[in-house]
Amino acid sequence: MRRRLAIPNLGGAQAIVLHRPHPTVQALARQLSAIGLRVSEHWPDLSPEAARADFVFFDADMGHDAQFPWPPGRAPIPMIALIGSEAPGRIEWALGQGADAQLIKPVGDSGAYSALVIARTAFEARRALAAEIADLHRRLEDRQTVVQAVTLLAARGTTEAQAYNQLRHLAMTWRETIEQAAHRIVARIAQDAGGEDERSGRS
Amino acid sequence: MRRTVQIGLLFSRSGSYSLISEACRRGALDAIGRVNADPARKISFAPVERDPGGNIDLYGPLCGEILNTTSATHVIGCVTSWSRKEVIPTLERAGGTLWYACPYEGFEASDHVAYTHACPNQHLLPLLHWVFPRFGRRGYLTGSNYIWGWEMNRVARAVIADAGGAVLGERYLPIGDTDVGRMIDEIRQTRPDFVLNSMIGPSSYEFLRAFADLGRADPHFTADTCPVLSCNLTECELDALGDAAQGLISVGPYFRGSPGWPDGAARDFGSSFEAAAFAAVDTLADLLEQSPAAETASLAELLRLAPADRPRIDPATHHTRLPVLIAQVQDGAFRVIARHADVAADPYLSHTDLHAPSRRAKLSVVT
Repeated sequence: MRRRLAIPNLGGAQAIVLHRPHPTVQALARQLSAIGLRVSEHWPDLSPEAARADFVFFDADMGHDAQFPWPPGRAPIPMIALIGSEAPGRIEWALGQGADAQLIKPVGDSGAYSALVIARTAFEARRALAAEIADLHRRLEDRQTVVQAVTLLAARGTTEAQAYNQLRHLAMTWRETIEQAAHRIVARIAQDAGGEDERSGRS
Repeated sequence: MRRTVQIGLLFSRSGSYSLISEACRRGALDAIGRVNADPARKISFAPVERDPGGNIDLYGPLCGEILNTTSATHVIGCVTSWSRKEVIPTLERAGGTLWYACPYEGFEASDHVAYTHACPNQHLLPLLHWVFPRFGRRGYLTGSNYIWGWEMNRVARAVIADAGGAVLGERYLPIGDTDVGRMIDEIRQTRPDFVLNSMIGPSSYEFLRAFADLGRADPHFTADTCPVLSCNLTECELDALGDAAQGLISVGPYFRGSPGWPDGAARDFGSSFEAAAFAAVDTLADLLEQSPAAETASLAELLRLAPADRPRIDPATHHTRLPVLIAQVQDGAFRVIARHADVAADPYLSHTDLHAPSRRAKLSVVT
């Protein structure tokens, strides 16, 4: 696997600026072009193709949910809020959209680079956490299957502790999670119990 | 009708990096003299000088003094990145422009700065990629304790790691500190293939003297097996070093006598610092002559006036397309040993492949 470099590669990345035409947009576009990004300006809303870009800078002052082609908080790319008024309600709305970083308006000579790096890092961390949490949820839901598999294995004359160890070893041998192995055992034992005739009939 | 334009000079004439400041100042004053003596020019420059004396806290106020109490909107000046970052807020407030004539660590593209010397894809990357196949990929990194040293070594670490090499040590000294013993001890113990020296001023001079002593005690630490590399050492500091600089390998857009840059300068410069400051003033004169209203134009507007179809200064980044020369100190002078054709600046390393930054730029070895 390629080592992650300490220098974020932003060359050729596509940034979308969702803001009404304004000097702030020009200043931001200048910074982004100097860094090496391609910039496109959009207002009043984003088309579904926006999901193919690499970053969205969005106006936190006049923004609203219907501008985005995805539900609030479900942006598939890093989001950077352009904040003019620091009113709590507007900050809350920007956070609800899933802002990974912010840039204070008026945008001047600097700030875009750190916003890009922070947003990308925060977005990736958020996405990795979400994937891990989804995986843990799935495994929690499989608790019943694990119990079932241990019970079925124990029914062949071992203790529950031995049955659980056996399940763990099988999972290791098959190079899968305990939950996946449990599913396999439950399916196989169920098949052994009821599918003998069907199987021989088919072959 | 010839116009007279005031132009600011902001160089420290004393302090730990004064040899570099003086080289830049010489180049700027020389260019001003030539502009003023040229009958074909439509403008003359009247320099306004301020000297921060190496005191970091004076750069912002003195830059403000130039911009607010004279008619100058362009300032040639600053040597350290620290001082450049100090004056940028002042430039923004006053709408002024800094012409910065020193190599620096990149990751900046101010709307108010024109960068006329090299950034890492024009110095550090080609230097490391030239060194790796010849000496190896195990490096020791030194630096002065401020942004130039930190960022240069950070990029170097990434490039070395990416090439499958190793960083055997990394150590910093405060600007002006000459306590180099611990670095030398570590280098002796770790026996790297090269040392990247990103210290400035007396720290750097003392280090090079101590390293030369080490080389006399142990022949591994000589230029054939463990060269010292630099991205900012030029002729302007060679006198301060004497024999200690022998074998040092440096990189820059210009070494004394080399052709190609600055454009149209039918003459020699003392060092690349002098050349870059000269080029800054000369380019500014060219731009100001494009329009009678140019004195009040912003840098971005000025650069749009540039007549050339392939301008030296990129309007997007305000950085300069430059040749890349690798040179070694031999008998008190730099001898160019490798050369890249003009390389466009890539201050954020956005378009540069860390593996082979020279793939697109043609490298020719000078024999």
